[in-house]
Amino acid sequence: MLSNEEKERYSRQMLIPGWDQERLKQATVLIVGLGGLGSASALYLAAAGIGRLRLCDGDTVGRSDLNRQTLYSESSIGLSKVDEAGRRIADLNPSVAVEKFNIFLDSQNAGKLAEGCQVIVDGLDNLESRFVLNKESFRQRIPFVYGAVHGWLGYVGLFLAPQTACLACLMHPDLVSRDRVPVAGITPGTIGLIQANEAIKWILGRTASLLGRLLIYDGTDLSFEIISVEKNPACPVCSKA
Amino acid sequence: MVIFLKAGGELRTKLNPDVDFYTRRVETKEGQSLRDILIGIGINPAFVAFAYRDDKVTRLDYVPLDGEVITLQPPVSGG
Repeated sequence: MLSNEEKERYSRQMLIPGWDQERLKQATVLIVGLGGLGSASALYLAAAGIGRLRLCDGDTVGRSDLNRQTLYSESSIGLSKVDEAGRRIADLNPSVAVEKFNIFLDSQNAGKLAEGCQVIVDGLDNLESRFVLNKESFRQRIPFVYGAVHGWLGYVGLFLAPQTACLACLMHPDLVSRDRVPVAGITPGTIGLIQANEAIKWILGRTASLLGRLLIYDGTDLSFEIISVEKNPACPVCSKA
Repeated sequence: MVIFLKAGGELRTKLNPDVDFYTRRVETKEGQSLRDILIGIGINPAFVAFAYRDDKVTRLDYVPLDGEVITLQPPVSGG
């Protein structure tokens, strides 16, 4: 049941036909990685009234994070990202329950982290961990809202293998991540918000525009292109399902 | 045979576009796969995360047809 305060808080979005605030309140979303992508998605998922946010990041805040990681401020430097994110979210919307995991994702803890979630949101900063999360999404059949950025370029997609392709159908797991990726702060903001949009629509049972598809955003010419990602019969993750 | 390769992000500088800011015209031989074509123009396929044509992802073993436009995208890992 929504409280009177919640009804007031969400009144503008509840005017949207088909909007089911109670459904959002009952949902649990896992966000792995609280950098530029995770900052944008966490803030907007919290503001929208997702009932429970499970946050995972083992990192601390650095000054060079502040051009894009809008969960944090100057006073956050040196502090745990999950703790700071939890504080910020509690301030923004105290009705959201926050579960904090001050750890880095790996193949050992991925299963437990994803358990019971309706959606997984990718806020990671390396390909290796993304493939771990993709595999777990496939294993538990939880929709995976993939996002990644580099410079002015960003990708976002929604995968639910075996119903759709998975991330490993799109790109080979042996691709190598770069350290200290260049990032225009607006790029993860844009991509993170689209990830939040897709997560909310999925929970509401609305058409998931990016299901089995990938949006390619290029901030240099402000182009948005959507392509279909078909299942790869040789996919090392989902082809044998 | 001629195909047109486009590239996004940092891959664009490796492609050396000559048609416009994004596109390079490439002469190909009959039966050459996209992977062979990339190697032939000095692009390591490991720098390509995925390629697509007509809004659909295509594999690097695809043999392009005359006049086709194929877009290449780089691995993107930041968050």
